[in-house]
Amino acid sequence: MKAIELNQVSKSFRDGSKTIEALKETNFSVEPGEFVAIIGPSGSGKSTFLTIIGGLQQPSEGKVMIANEKFSELKEKERAKRRFKEIGFILQASNLVPFLTVKEQLMLVNKVEKSTINSDRIHTLLEELDIIDLADKYPGDLSGGERQRAAIARALYHDPTVILADEPTASLDTSRAFEVVEILARETKNKKKATIMVTHDERLTEYCDSVYVMKDGVLERQTDK
Amino acid sequence: MFLAWKEIKHSKTRFALIIGIVVLVSYLVSFLTGLAYGLAQENRTAVDKWDADGIVLTNESNLNLNSSMFEAEEQDYVTSDEKAVLGVSSNIVRIDGSEDTEDNINVTIFGVESNEFLNPEIVEGDTFEEDTVVADISLSEEEGLQVGDMLKLSGQNREVKIAGFTDGAKFSVTPVLYTTVETFQKIKYDVDIIEENQEYPINGIVVRNDGDIDTVSIDSDDLEVYSTSEFINKLPGYNAQVLTFGLMIGFLVLIAALVIGIFIYVLTLQKASMLGVMKAQGISSGYIAKSVIAQTFLLALIGVLIGFGLTILTGFFLPSAVPYQNNYLFLVATMASLIVFALMGAVFSVRTVVKIDPLEAIE
Repeated sequence: MKAIELNQVSKSFRDGSKTIEALKETNFSVEPGEFVAIIGPSGSGKSTFLTIIGGLQQPSEGKVMIANEKFSELKEKERAKRRFKEIGFILQASNLVPFLTVKEQLMLVNKVEKSTINSDRIHTLLEELDIIDLADKYPGDLSGGERQRAAIARALYHDPTVILADEPTASLDTSRAFEVVEILARETKNKKKATIMVTHDERLTEYCDSVYVMKDGVLERQTDK
Repeated sequence: MFLAWKEIKHSKTRFALIIGIVVLVSYLVSFLTGLAYGLAQENRTAVDKWDADGIVLTNESNLNLNSSMFEAEEQDYVTSDEKAVLGVSSNIVRIDGSEDTEDNINVTIFGVESNEFLNPEIVEGDTFEEDTVVADISLSEEEGLQVGDMLKLSGQNREVKIAGFTDGAKFSVTPVLYTTVETFQKIKYDVDIIEENQEYPINGIVVRNDGDIDTVSIDSDDLEVYSTSEFINKLPGYNAQVLTFGLMIGFLVLIAALVIGIFIYVLTLQKASMLGVMKAQGISSGYIAKSVIAQTFLLALIGVLIGFGLTILTGFFLPSAVPYQNNYLFLVATMASLIVFALMGAVFSVRTVVKIDPLEAIE
């Protein structure tokens, strides 16, 4: 089973009379437990690629499958529901809610789903990510690295199939960046997630199973990995 | 509710300010409601106490009690379950012995028959007899009058003695003095002896007829029966007062709703990027909108309850001369409408939430 599968997906925008091809026809797939990095200069279409996989925008052509479901063909509302269930987002600036404590960030998932709060799971997750002592702190009181670890915990909590990380290390210094990516790699293996990380820092790719380069809307696999 | 409450708890100062404004507005609104109600009551409580269905007046009176004048004998033309004659006179009295015009008190004198239903219930002292009166208790509370005090009628060489007090006897914002029809006639027409062959008209006949004035029959072209509610609405100044206050309260409720709505709207705009991220994560617009509505509800509810409490508290410390009276039904109704309108003000924010594009939050 493929966790993510893109079939002849392309995306183009109209800008006045011109048509801009942000993403040229792409075939791409990720297995559960695979950690994929996508590198490339800014404006190359990395983010477009990621948001198409995440269902935040529709491909112009082709289809996106997440966990063997035709994700790109669902209606917006239905897609939001699947997104909530199947995809964990980790964004460059922290995607944490400023007025919730680290623990409450995870509890929010239950509140939205109207499911019961799994305190044991929260505890285990926070312990794994070594932020259990920060459980009752607000994001504003955390360092950048701690915030990203909390974001990883939040992304993992509802046990998604896919984790999409958009420049998760952008605001971190080198050692913290390595630390966060290492955690991400470890969790991908342990929990059999399909993780895609968009980054512009090539040094971080040493933890990844495969590396793709995005250039002018064309995605190419780097051969040496 | 989860998000709504956590945010309020986290940004205490910000939300305390918003609640503060709601408190002030709801305090003002509920206090005005109390004043409006109190003033309305001072116009009409005496009429309400009659517990009557209607009043027979001359058809030329334009429902004005003072301009309706006819002879007491004409009550024979009126057929109703119960009827009671009523004479009305507006006078100024002063406690006997005082020369100070500051002591003047505006009163309305009601001349009634002691064996008819207009005879008021006594809360202190005795019932009235010839040349004595039963006064509204407010004269005791505000002016310090007591049973046995003599009241001099201004402009006349005449005095009446207070025999007792009744409560809730205010008419056109003046306290009522109940007395016999004869004493009323002596005062109104300034005569010392009521002569048999002389005409001293009364002003109205109050009727009780099992809640239905349509079956009250009148065998006279000059007289007509009017319902009590119509009579009250036509009391001089009554409608104007009620409408003025009503308009003020209505506008205040709308302004409050607008203020709360704008606050919530600005807060929502401020959070737009965070809400975009939440939507990107798949949290539905519905959930976020619900929490915006829940937050508005919480803010409005807390503010309104505090304002409500302050109003009740203030009621205890007001001097009795202020025509303030709590009517819990009206209070609860205005408070509820404050909350409902505030929620409607939050609808703008819901639109904003729906329109936030999660894509922009990511890129």
